[in-house]
Amino acid sequence: MSKDTNNEVVVTGIGCIGSFGLGVAALRQALATGVANTSEINRSAGYHRKVSATQAATTDEQDLTPWLSDDDGRRMSQFSQHGVTCARMALASANLHELPSERTAVTIATAFGPGGFTERLALQVLQKGGKFASPFLFTDCVANAAAGQIAIATGARGANLTICQREAGPLLAVAQAANDLRLGRADVCLAGAIDELHPLSHAILDRFRALARPSTRDGVQEDDVLEERPRPFDQYRNGYLAGDGGTILVLEREQHAVARGARIQARVGGGARAFDATAPRTGHGTGSAALAARLRERLGAHLHEIDAVISAASGARRGDALEAEILRLAVPHMPRVLTPKAVTGEFGGGTIASAMLALAGADFGKPAGCKHEDASLGIEISAGPVTARHILCSAHAAGGVSSWLTFEKP
Amino acid sequence: MSSSLGHDPVVVTGIGAVSSLGPTADALWQGVIAARRGLGELDLFATTSHRTKLAGQVDTDALPRQFAHMSRADRFGCTATQAAVQDVPTFLLQSGRAGVFFGSSTGALFEGERFLAALLDGREGDLHSIVGLQNDGPGNAVAKQFGCGGPVITYSTACTSANVAIAAALDALHSGEVDLAIAGGADELCEITYAGFNSLRAIDSEPTRPFRADRKGLLMGEGAGVLLLERRSHAEARGATVLAELVSAGRSCDANHVSAPDPEGRGAATAIRQALQEGGLVPADITFVNAHGTGTPHNDVSESKAMHAVFGERARSLPITSTKSMVGHLLGAAGGIEAVLTVLSIQHGLLPPTAGDAPADPELGLDVVVHEARTLPATNVGLSTNLAFGGNNAVIVLRSPQAAPGPKKQAEPR
Repeated sequence: MSKDTNNEVVVTGIGCIGSFGLGVAALRQALATGVANTSEINRSAGYHRKVSATQAATTDEQDLTPWLSDDDGRRMSQFSQHGVTCARMALASANLHELPSERTAVTIATAFGPGGFTERLALQVLQKGGKFASPFLFTDCVANAAAGQIAIATGARGANLTICQREAGPLLAVAQAANDLRLGRADVCLAGAIDELHPLSHAILDRFRALARPSTRDGVQEDDVLEERPRPFDQYRNGYLAGDGGTILVLEREQHAVARGARIQARVGGGARAFDATAPRTGHGTGSAALAARLRERLGAHLHEIDAVISAASGARRGDALEAEILRLAVPHMPRVLTPKAVTGEFGGGTIASAMLALAGADFGKPAGCKHEDASLGIEISAGPVTARHILCSAHAAGGVSSWLTFEKP
Repeated sequence: MSSSLGHDPVVVTGIGAVSSLGPTADALWQGVIAARRGLGELDLFATTSHRTKLAGQVDTDALPRQFAHMSRADRFGCTATQAAVQDVPTFLLQSGRAGVFFGSSTGALFEGERFLAALLDGREGDLHSIVGLQNDGPGNAVAKQFGCGGPVITYSTACTSANVAIAAALDALHSGEVDLAIAGGADELCEITYAGFNSLRAIDSEPTRPFRADRKGLLMGEGAGVLLLERRSHAEARGATVLAELVSAGRSCDANHVSAPDPEGRGAATAIRQALQEGGLVPADITFVNAHGTGTPHNDVSESKAMHAVFGERARSLPITSTKSMVGHLLGAAGGIEAVLTVLSIQHGLLPPTAGDAPADPELGLDVVVHEARTLPATNVGLSTNLAFGGNNAVIVLRSPQAAPGPKKQAEPR
């Protein structure tokens, strides 16, 4: 059936940054290894408990100068720096050098916003007093700082949105952007996710027991299992690897992209979103049947076409089980399931970038920490190049929000 | 182009508000109509280390006890929502066809500050107190409390958050994704934001005076404002009382400065024009404006220029008010509480005054309602505007329900 190109939304550019490096080539290499580039989080501030997670997949000290001058960068938080970097990278990738200013929207998801600036401002206020608060820190510590800075850097004067919905945010942001394009409110949209992990947020996540820690389960002899690693869908998973970075896609209506001769990387398909009221405020619930029903209701027969899943699995004990239950209930056949968060860490939109790479046939290695399949989940993780045409991306946020979005090879 | 044209109209069938004027929408309305200021010296935290002492703090003793275990912002959101959905059968809220569209700029940051202070003091913080720390806290709390199974999404675009959320709810209803939408916002006072606005010299040390010549800044507030939205056919089928129609929304970005509004108000004008276009309206249709009106010198100039750009000479006679003069600036919840007040203005045919003794600043060239409430026409179309950090602009248009079935105008092509 021919597509209505006036209503189809396509991806024409991508920019990303993470602990894996700068750009999709770096991410492609990392996904092939199945290993995250981690480093020890700075615990010197004393926010962490004595026994805590120690590793993070952070973007510290990457050279952004190809995309962001030192002069521009010094006026921003790291959060905004990454936003502007990814936006410029995405626009270059889309070969889009002149934006239709009034018709360009920005939609960014973030779980924590500019945490580093917020923490520094908080310390000024709490330790020295409110009169010592820095206006520079304050103006760039709001959650929509990156979206605003992207607009200033690119001249995008359309809707400028920031979505805060934890792990579900990146897919919600892309879906929101696609909807605004379909409704004719914009011709181009920069959409994705930016996150900045800092010691305080790492410590808080760890105190909620969200993060992977060294496993101490009885009966496991292999040294590997005792290491602090994310183990998506693994029997010995005990939390995720916190990370940061960003991914921004250039979305356009297909007609707009075709008219300017753009190379189309993917088509954005349908999506679904739902809430699981059984979820505790900081964890995942048991409402997989209702969530699966919602997914089936929204995507219906399209679920039959899915030949790969970019899963939400991160190594979270209950979160991964929820994901497996939903997939078993909603997807008629179990397609190949990919777990990029084992490489990118949680947060920063790595799953969106990974979806684009999967459609491009990238090689996904088996996550290094996954050696003991959890038979109860019914998910098998395999390695090798992806040959999918229709991808389902899923996300399940702690607290109960789920979102799904499909992408299709052009 | 999407617009309300051709859609089953989206109507408001419930409202709820928590503010420094009281824990209900009625307390809010009685206060603003009387031009009573819910602004006073803060006691939520010590103000000795801050430049100023005033804000619109909510009296939490007046709130229902059932949400007392939550953060302030979550508690405000749930209290306002409880009022908004009081006539909705539980099975409808829990059917999976009800969604939550919320705005918040700081989540439970006050509790987060206490948690950090404990850590800095070498103590264990209370983890339970920060389960709503992230900005999605109030929206998630509402969804969990009322058992909603549809989409739940939080927008954090600083002071436009709630208007952006209401706009998203409108889309979800138009598309048929949901049958009921709980839309609005909640935010709480905290030291970081209070100190931050003070660092910009944006907070007045006296009661704020929006649109006055001697205005010197805003006063912060806290609370929540929530609308219950549904398609008119759905409301009629369940016998709900229609309070107003949510016609359309507009959003834009100045792309000019991280914290200051465009001095010419261009972005705000773009957002207003978009809302008019999507609603099939022309400027002459608007009968009153609930303005962002923070009371900072720059905001009020920028906003007045936007009004002149869109409404031309009529800006001088279009009634406009700033209810922030009485409840303070609720940041991410501002759009929520101002939407509630816009609905109430439509219902009662009255526009609350902008509190303050002085006349309006003649330089702005606006018909600012001062001293006492202004009687409005029998049917109304109200515009509620919000501007924010990041150059963010979001506006919504609400109108009298009886005006809804009238002849539709064609939107002009862009």
